[in-house]
Amino acid sequence: MTQASTAVQVAGLRKAFRVAEREAGLRASVRSLVRRQYRDVLAVAGISFTVAAGEVVGFLGPNGAGKTTTLKMLSGLLFPTGGEVLVLGHLPSRREHAYLRRITLVMGNRNQLQWDIPALDSFEMSRAIYRIPSAEFRRIRDELVELLEIGDQVRKPVRTLSLGERMKAEVAGALLHRPEVLFLDEPTIGLDVTMQKRLRAFLAEYNRRYAATILLTSHYMADVEALCKRVVVIDAGAIRYDGGLRELSTRYTRQQTLTVAVGESAPDLSGYGEVLSTDGGRVSIRVAKAETSQVAARLLRDHAITDLTITDPPVEDVIEHLFAAGTPAP
Amino acid sequence: MNPAPGRARGLALALTFFRVAASTELQYRVNFLLSLVQSVLAVGTSLAVLGLVFAKTDSLGGWSAGQLLVVMGVYVLVGGVIRSLIQPNMQQLMSDVQEGTLDFVLTKPADGQLLVSVRRIEIWQAVDVFVGGGLIAVAAVRLPGSVGVLPVLAFAATLLLGVVAIYCFWLLLTILAFWVVRVDFLVELFDGMYQAGRWPVTIYPGWLRIGLTFLVPLAFAVTVPASALTGRLSGWLLAGTAGFTAALFTFTRWAWRIGLRHYTGASA
Amino acid sequence: MTVPARRPPPLRRRRGPDRDRRLTGLPGFYLTVMRTAVAVQFQYRTANYAYMIGMVVEPVIYLVVWARVAGAQGGAVDGITAGKFAAYYIVWTLVRNMNIVFTPFGWEERIRQGRLSAMLVRPVHPIHYDLAYFAGWKVVVVLLWLPIAAVLTLIFRPTFDVSALEVLVFLVAIWGAYLIRSMLLWVLGMVTFWTTRVSALYDIYFTAELLLSGRLVPLALLPAWAVTVADVLPFKYSFGYPIEVLAGDLSTRELLTGLAAQAGWIAAGALLVAAVWRVGVRRYSAVGG
Repeated sequence: MTQASTAVQVAGLRKAFRVAEREAGLRASVRSLVRRQYRDVLAVAGISFTVAAGEVVGFLGPNGAGKTTTLKMLSGLLFPTGGEVLVLGHLPSRREHAYLRRITLVMGNRNQLQWDIPALDSFEMSRAIYRIPSAEFRRIRDELVELLEIGDQVRKPVRTLSLGERMKAEVAGALLHRPEVLFLDEPTIGLDVTMQKRLRAFLAEYNRRYAATILLTSHYMADVEALCKRVVVIDAGAIRYDGGLRELSTRYTRQQTLTVAVGESAPDLSGYGEVLSTDGGRVSIRVAKAETSQVAARLLRDHAITDLTITDPPVEDVIEHLFAAGTPAP
Repeated sequence: MNPAPGRARGLALALTFFRVAASTELQYRVNFLLSLVQSVLAVGTSLAVLGLVFAKTDSLGGWSAGQLLVVMGVYVLVGGVIRSLIQPNMQQLMSDVQEGTLDFVLTKPADGQLLVSVRRIEIWQAVDVFVGGGLIAVAAVRLPGSVGVLPVLAFAATLLLGVVAIYCFWLLLTILAFWVVRVDFLVELFDGMYQAGRWPVTIYPGWLRIGLTFLVPLAFAVTVPASALTGRLSGWLLAGTAGFTAALFTFTRWAWRIGLRHYTGASA
Repeated sequence: MTVPARRPPPLRRRRGPDRDRRLTGLPGFYLTVMRTAVAVQFQYRTANYAYMIGMVVEPVIYLVVWARVAGAQGGAVDGITAGKFAAYYIVWTLVRNMNIVFTPFGWEERIRQGRLSAMLVRPVHPIHYDLAYFAGWKVVVVLLWLPIAAVLTLIFRPTFDVSALEVLVFLVAIWGAYLIRSMLLWVLGMVTFWTTRVSALYDIYFTAELLLSGRLVPLALLPAWAVTVADVLPFKYSFGYPIEVLAGDLSTRELLTGLAAQAGWIAAGALLVAAVWRVGVRRYSAVGG
């Protein structure tokens, strides 16, 4: 085991793109031939974080937030404009073969398996590229195929597989060389709910077995909730939050939800707070966090309550507030 | 896992790709028949033209009918190499740059240029290699005087150099995709231009000859190997070919690096 | 995301009657489709240019070869001088562009992607769409061709001997060539209704066309028996004949009989299309496309 149990170290990472500006229309096209106008777009505006070996971190954020750009800089695909980044002690942008052998990249809805040949054949090619010894390769491959339940699918040409089966085969192919760091860019995008769950379960199990570090970007809350204890929220190229998922809710919201079971009578509880839903005998009310205990006490005193739970609002709402307001939710 | 020395690895990688592609494609025997029919029809047409030309004259630009037959054979053979080995890879590279799947190539622990150059093969286009080879053999046998060992060796060497030159040319064109992105029209452009290789470049007017030597290296791909086999190759020409191809290869490697740096934003 | 939606700017009302609406029915359809084709192909002008430049290589090669042969034979081959060869092949580049139509190889994909079904639902015979679209494309192509022709003329110095009648007949003949080839390749394409293993058939057709249309060599240079065969086949009327109208010396009688032959082949082609289409569509609907 190397001295550092830190897998990823990022300090002040920046990425700016020069985008050519061009309006529509013939005159503008001609003008742009003579004099090109450029605009600097700051995709990643100086972010810092560290990831320990074996951690699973989710990068959440709206489209265009800079999550994929960050991931690409970590995997060596993009050259940073500023700042420092070290993954497994290597500088990713050097793309040293020794580094590339220890990582893997999976991009949702983009395939690296060859279209017309069975996945098994693409696996063979991976074996050659990553120089995996035959016996070890066969063991790892069979294990992955079994874990992902794609035994039949890997013998058919990839183009005949459904989207979900293709994604599972992609993931299998990406893990044949037993990488220490997994970069997953929106891995569950476009998949149906069952397949998403299976994939998440697989990744969780993989992390448990092999202590691989997983960095995953997504805009599905469910991905992050299922897999990551730690979440990094990125918006407009900056980190808005970096920490535990639970704490995100508790810290950034000043509201809570009281759910009470009041039996058949279904009284009007709007006086206690904002009624969110009335479902059978259960009513959910949103109250300011500071008043939760008071409201709860009043409810218990005034009505025949058989059950009472206090929950934080769903993390999606919290995050939405974070993006919309730019500051912690009111 | 001890990595083997670089060049041997490259070859081993290429062979693995070839083996995988071949085993899949070879099951489709109908494709073989179709490729053969296509090839025969194309050769038949070329022979018809050759026949028509030599019904009206005895020599074309100093080349006899038999020698032109050698040229045609090399043209078909090299065409087969291009369409089976070079073009599929270049087209894949073009689409990778467009779709963003080049990222997968760049995160592999192998030389990027090597990977994008050997991963795809269209086996059935290789039929032309055999048809061309057969044509060359037939033509060589019918040439006045027998063909010595030296010309055959020179032929093999210049053929290899010619293929490398065409590969470099194709890759250079495809590297444009890093800046221009949509370069698929290049395929059609090249296909049209390759036709010029049917005839020895010496029959073309000066400016065209230069263009077809240094701009589109058809001279090196077709005319020079044919010259080698028909005893028209001087030592100087051979040395020049080797030198030019080496320089072109180095330049292509440099262009690839520049292209990658642009793609990854390393060159600000 | 709570980004306030911006109301789209109000549509400007067009003053006066919509120009396209004045022509209804088939002519209106043709006009609309042609306009679309022009707009689209103008956007792809780089790709179009690249294709044309690549395509120009073929005639230039033959031009050079035949000019060489002519030179070696003392100035002319079978009476055709280098200048005449240049004229032939330069006009060739225009005629070649004029007879590019929807490829029969494209039928399989058209059927597979459901585009044929979409066309069947419309109250217009699908061939009109192809005819109109490619006709519009030709407008762009001719515009792009003019500078290429100029360059070729400067380099190869063709000798032209044209009369006003020849120019007139030429303008008609190139469209006749376009129609003939459209019909014939449409019929070929419809074979896809019955089988998708068509590439061998197409290759044989195109090879025959290559040799007997005047594309590879001027028909005058073919052996006598081949010329006889070429006369009864339609290929020459979509290629060699239009070229000869402008670049060769055809007598007035030959000019007019050529036009008549074109008309005949267009009619034959149309009948063939109609007949095969009726049977083909029935099969297509039965098989489910």
